[in-house]
Amino acid sequence: MRPGAGLVFVAEMYGVQLDQLATVLGVSQRRAVAVAARWRAAGHAQAAVLSPGPRWVWLTKAGLATCGLPYSAVTPGLSRLAHLRAVTAVRLALLAAPQFAASAAYWRSERRLRARMGGRIGLREHVPDGEVHWPDGAGFPWAGECWAIEAELTPKTSARTVAIMRELLSRTGDYGCLAADVQVPGRPPRHSRAIYLCSPAARPVVVRARDALGLLGSRVEIRLLPDGAGLAGAGLAGAGLGGPASGEAAP
Amino acid sequence: MIGRRLSLVVAQAILRVLARVLGAVALAAVAAAAAPVSLVAAGALAAAWRQGWLPRRLFAAAAWCGPMVAVWLAWTARAAPGWQVVAAAPYHAWLGFWHLARAGSPLRAAAVAAPLAIPLGLAAGGLAWTYRTGLLRSGAGGLSPAASVAFDQRQWRHQVRSARARIAAAGSVPLTTRGDLLVVGAVIRVVGHRGGPLAAVSYQRTRSHQVVVGTTGTGKTTLLLRLWTAFMATGLRRHAAGLGAPPLLVVLDCKGGSDARRVADRFRRVLRQAGARSTAVWPDEASLSLWTLPSRQLTTTLVDLIEHGTGSAAYYADVMEALIALAVEAPCGPPASSRDLLIRLEPGWLSTAYAGSGTAADHALIRSASRHLGDVALRFRTLFRRLGAGLDGPGGFGDADAWYCILEGTDQIPVAEGQARALVDLLASFAVRGPQRREILLAVDEFSAVSRRLPIWQLYERARSLGLAVQVSAQSWQGLAASQDERYRIAASAEGGIWLLRTPHPEPLTGLAGTRKAVETTRRLGRFPVWRHQGTSRLSEVPVVDAALIRGLDVGQAAYIYRGGVTYVQVKRLVAAPAAVGGRPVPAAAGRAAGSRPGAEDRAAGEVAAGTSATGARADAAAGAAAGSPAGSAAAGLGAAGALPDVSPVLDAAFGPEPRA
Repeated sequence: MRPGAGLVFVAEMYGVQLDQLATVLGVSQRRAVAVAARWRAAGHAQAAVLSPGPRWVWLTKAGLATCGLPYSAVTPGLSRLAHLRAVTAVRLALLAAPQFAASAAYWRSERRLRARMGGRIGLREHVPDGEVHWPDGAGFPWAGECWAIEAELTPKTSARTVAIMRELLSRTGDYGCLAADVQVPGRPPRHSRAIYLCSPAARPVVVRARDALGLLGSRVEIRLLPDGAGLAGAGLAGAGLGGPASGEAAP
Repeated sequence: MIGRRLSLVVAQAILRVLARVLGAVALAAVAAAAAPVSLVAAGALAAAWRQGWLPRRLFAAAAWCGPMVAVWLAWTARAAPGWQVVAAAPYHAWLGFWHLARAGSPLRAAAVAAPLAIPLGLAAGGLAWTYRTGLLRSGAGGLSPAASVAFDQRQWRHQVRSARARIAAAGSVPLTTRGDLLVVGAVIRVVGHRGGPLAAVSYQRTRSHQVVVGTTGTGKTTLLLRLWTAFMATGLRRHAAGLGAPPLLVVLDCKGGSDARRVADRFRRVLRQAGARSTAVWPDEASLSLWTLPSRQLTTTLVDLIEHGTGSAAYYADVMEALIALAVEAPCGPPASSRDLLIRLEPGWLSTAYAGSGTAADHALIRSASRHLGDVALRFRTLFRRLGAGLDGPGGFGDADAWYCILEGTDQIPVAEGQARALVDLLASFAVRGPQRREILLAVDEFSAVSRRLPIWQLYERARSLGLAVQVSAQSWQGLAASQDERYRIAASAEGGIWLLRTPHPEPLTGLAGTRKAVETTRRLGRFPVWRHQGTSRLSEVPVVDAALIRGLDVGQAAYIYRGGVTYVQVKRLVAAPAAVGGRPVPAAAGRAAGSRPGAEDRAAGEVAAGTSATGARADAAAGAAAGSPAGSAAAGLGAAGALPDVSPVLDAAFGPEPRA
């Protein structure tokens, strides 16, 4: 991936650690450090040690403006670092899947979804950690589908998880649409499926929640988070650092 | 002697005329001297007359000029310190006005006098308008006693014109305002209520019983849609702010027909704009499950849905109730559908079901009543065929923010009566045992058409005990309920107020507003058509609401009666978004594609259909998904898992296979 595209990637994910940036750019971590230093020198990015492991890189206001992205420049919140890393790991794992590249699928990040909502997120709306759009005519059976991606590090209550799943699967409108279009009976749902990537600790609750959904649960897929999704030293079992496990708060 | 007497009379007349002329001249002189104030007063008076304002509006405007006067005085004091200068500032302003006017600078003259002339003029105009309206209201003003009537009618026209202009102005009438106020429209006139440009009722008042009466074509539906939409918008906002439970609006349209469908479409569109995330139209597009009722309640409801005779027929009613109770409260659990219940009423089922765990009394009852099983089954088969699939699930009131239930009370009265009874029982059960507390408003239109099984006063009492607010609407006083006693009970217990639109017989409702004290003046007739300004006045009781005014209300005008006062409102019509283009048809749910995930088939079979709550786990999965609950119908669309391709290849490639438990 070109450094320019890497800049957009970092912007979309709020912030990434240097090892993940190296994977994104397809270079060694040492080379990624140099790229990050160049971004810093240009005033496009900031870097700091925010958590155990490599440094975090995030975009400044100038960097976001360079990318043409209408986001607010903020430092990744400490309470969300584990979650951000997990979501980035999920995205990278999907990017590595041959079907993803072959079908030119694309990832719509939580940050983009929230930006579309323009601060109009009500207490009742849940925003997924990302969406994966599979273009029509991609040659795969699931072409044309839109998936909601959820990364679950720490277990929520079963009732809350059920409510989120039901909301994701019954939503009909795009994020940022009129409130009236959010859930319209008779219209096809926005998300064909919800893909849950869970830590071992969170998985039982997610499975229970899927079972509680009944027939609707057949549209929920559960997998374990990929390797490297946890913060260094924390691992997946202890991931979360006490913060929200699944995109509950927007920075 | 006669000549002297005549001279005296003539002299008195001349003196009287002279006194009047002198008074008029003095008044004109004062008005001319205080020209700036007089001009503002005249303008204020004309505006109040033309717009039909109350005098206090002019006084309020004068009071709002206070800061301007204070700034002007402060500026004067800063230019030339000393209290004498400030005290003399009005006099100097007056002098300055005349000097500048004489010098040919009228604009500068007006600017010099304005800080003082505007508030004083507004106050003077208010006083003059108070005098004028008071004089005419008491019957003492005008050339004839009928002048007060003509004045009142003219002012009504002016007030209506003003209110219409206000609602026509874009953005001038919001749906809700701060303080959880639901704005209905522009105020035409108030009696005994606080005046203001906008007519608004508090959210809490919609949480109490209300009555709406108006004939067809008077704007009743427009008013109701506005009230419902404002209720939903305010309720959602309060919920988002953590001030209350989420709102739930349930409308029972007991007329049915194509008109009800049109209203339902408007209902859906305006509710969506208010923030309602899902609006269900029952039974056309959504269904409810009668079988989610608790067993005892289900038995009572099922038995009540069947018409019973009296006298010796009561015996059969008891037999039926006993059999239904056995079928519903069987050891294997309550029935999940009408089909399930009918299976239980087949010979032998009850004996088998109770064979292991039934009591001796149960077995005795089954033996003695089994010969009636066929008849009971026949009656319920007929009932379920009439009721249709609308009550056979899946779905519950919790699945949508707003429900519009259409009962065919005009052409299928017995069916609508049964449906009404069942819906109210379901709602009552939801209010008590629902998974989430909701602030519920139940709006019933022409409920008297279907209230034979459930008297409306009983609905009122039940709603009160459950914390539901009931809004009853009818086309006439007679349409409120079947008997006069019931009508009065309904109207008298409308703590949230009564909305009256044009109706030919408003007296029973206007009478509830009571009377107020008013001055009544008699005038002596000189020689027709001249009435003298001499007579007597007395206090008398006059109705707060003028029934003749109600009979003459135009389309979109309503009178809101509350606590002995009335506010006449020009209702602002809600403009709904254009109807949505129909979405892709939702395929019926089927089993999940084989092999997509281990164990998925087991879950799909026998579990609650998409969109229904976990409490509805008894619902028949296949039938449920086919009918489609409102919230879950979209969800069920692709929940037709047979239509979903297997995505394991890509997920396995990215994340590895799904781990086993």
